[in-house]
Amino acid sequence: MNTSLWTPIWISIKTVCTATVITFFLGIAAAHWMSRYKGKLKAVIDGIFILPMVMPPTVVGYWLLTFFGINGLGGKFFALFNYKLVFTWQATVVAAVIMSFPLMYMTAKGAFEQVEPNLQSAARTLGAGEWRIFWTVTLPLAWPGVAAATVLALARTLGEFGTTLMLAGNIRTKTTTIPVDIYFSIISGDNHRAQVLALVVMGFSFVALALVGFWKNRSNRTKGLMTTDG
Amino acid sequence: MLNTKIKRVLPGFNLDVELSLEHELMVILGPSGAGKTMTLQCIAGLTKPSEGYIELGGKVLFDSATGINLPPQKRRVGFVFQNYALFPHMTINENIAYSIRHLPKPEKLDKVSWLLDMMNIGALSGRYPRQLSAGQQQRVAIARALAPDPEVLLFDEPFSALDSQLRERLELELLELQRAYNGSMLLVTHDLAEGYKLGTRVAIYHAGRIAQCDTRQNVFSSPADRTVARLTGVRNLMNGEISRVEPSCVFVQIPAWGLELKALSPSGKELSIGHLVTVGIRPEYVQITHAGNAENVVKSSVLQAVEGITNITYRFKMDSDQQEQHLLNASCPKTNDAMLQDGEPCNLYLPPEHLIVIPETTTTAEM
Repeated sequence: MNTSLWTPIWISIKTVCTATVITFFLGIAAAHWMSRYKGKLKAVIDGIFILPMVMPPTVVGYWLLTFFGINGLGGKFFALFNYKLVFTWQATVVAAVIMSFPLMYMTAKGAFEQVEPNLQSAARTLGAGEWRIFWTVTLPLAWPGVAAATVLALARTLGEFGTTLMLAGNIRTKTTTIPVDIYFSIISGDNHRAQVLALVVMGFSFVALALVGFWKNRSNRTKGLMTTDG
Repeated sequence: MLNTKIKRVLPGFNLDVELSLEHELMVILGPSGAGKTMTLQCIAGLTKPSEGYIELGGKVLFDSATGINLPPQKRRVGFVFQNYALFPHMTINENIAYSIRHLPKPEKLDKVSWLLDMMNIGALSGRYPRQLSAGQQQRVAIARALAPDPEVLLFDEPFSALDSQLRERLELELLELQRAYNGSMLLVTHDLAEGYKLGTRVAIYHAGRIAQCDTRQNVFSSPADRTVARLTGVRNLMNGEISRVEPSCVFVQIPAWGLELKALSPSGKELSIGHLVTVGIRPEYVQITHAGNAENVVKSSVLQAVEGITNITYRFKMDSDQQEQHLLNASCPKTNDAMLQDGEPCNLYLPPEHLIVIPETTTTAEM
């Protein structure tokens, strides 16, 4: 039987918030590291990080299910702690993080690479350690791009369907996010419910896009001003 | 003060230089790609040399033999970048105070205002770098580099982005700063006039090596070899052979022109008859003369004349040089006389005191 409309919305909000926070930190850590990494494996690591974006979500879901299932490596590891990830709410978070990570990573890396390396060198000669340079120079200057990346990642976690369904399933009170709910509402002929949920997601996406546009604009403006030296 | 011996091996480029710097402003002069900026980066710790040592004020910053390699944060080396590298999201105040945030607040404020005053940018303290002109940005960059009391200040082509008027003013300011600032300065440039004006000593870089390092007078008046002569603006260089030696002067036979020139004996260099030399003269020292068959007067004709603001640049062909093997470049001040036209014959006087005689050594490659 159908749950209240608020159940999937609440599950989605929890998933989106948790996943976005995790993706944010994982993404900027990976992006910052890779924007400075000059080793031989650069192309390989880059490819692995972006892989979930170019693969069909159900395929990613399939491999995650295999990995975290009872016979998978991850599943066996979790079993040591008497824990099972598959078909839990946490699985929706894992799916959302994996699928939104590439967007966060790619966009943030671009933003970090735009930061003039001489500024970091200057900070170094002025005595600042790498950690301070990141917080006072690199991140503030890359911030418009990082913020845009976060919004894109957030939108991606909200829209996540295929991978979530494979890994977390459709457990009404625990794992059914809005996109999954929309699909099963249509299947069961509840068009009205699907429509309302679809409108909620659309409204949210519009806000997200507007925010990205706003930040992009601001970043372009700052850059334009930076190149005009009086 | 600063002692360095740096080797850096890269595919297609080797840097191998040795510099030592007292409380002075030394200029590194050389064409682009000669390793000038890389030297500064090695000293500042932004690039790691393959081999060598760097010592500043008695402290070892880098030594490949003992594995010492201090990070840039611990080197007390100030760096003024070519594009100044001011933090665009910080005010001028914040930029200057970036390196001294650990100081107690009153001390920090004192220091910042002292630097602002010294660089004449007090009125700009609340502004952002993008609101400043290039000249003002440079002053901020210098103030910021001076804030942590560095023992040496490195300048990477600081004037290359400026127009000539502003450049001249800032060059003067830099000379004043050098007097006020009790430390060493090392400045990189590819501009000859600028290098001469600023450097008490000049190191000429060529292909990753120091071709000559001496006082500016010595470098420019008695270049060590043909390469240095060419790099310091001696545009006319001819092969010759010593034909006569007199107490204070020598006579050099120039085969390409089929004539003999008199020059002052280069100091500290023993020359004897038959010695192969290179004879050079700066275009600015070539004089147009009405004298006929006098010493060091050569007959020639104009091949090309280009009028500048205060000077006329000529290319002359020697009458005795039928194959046009060696043209002579001259830059003559404008006079009331009419400018010489293409093809017009004229006599040129090459003053003996301005002829540079460089003995050929076996190692000097033919240019």
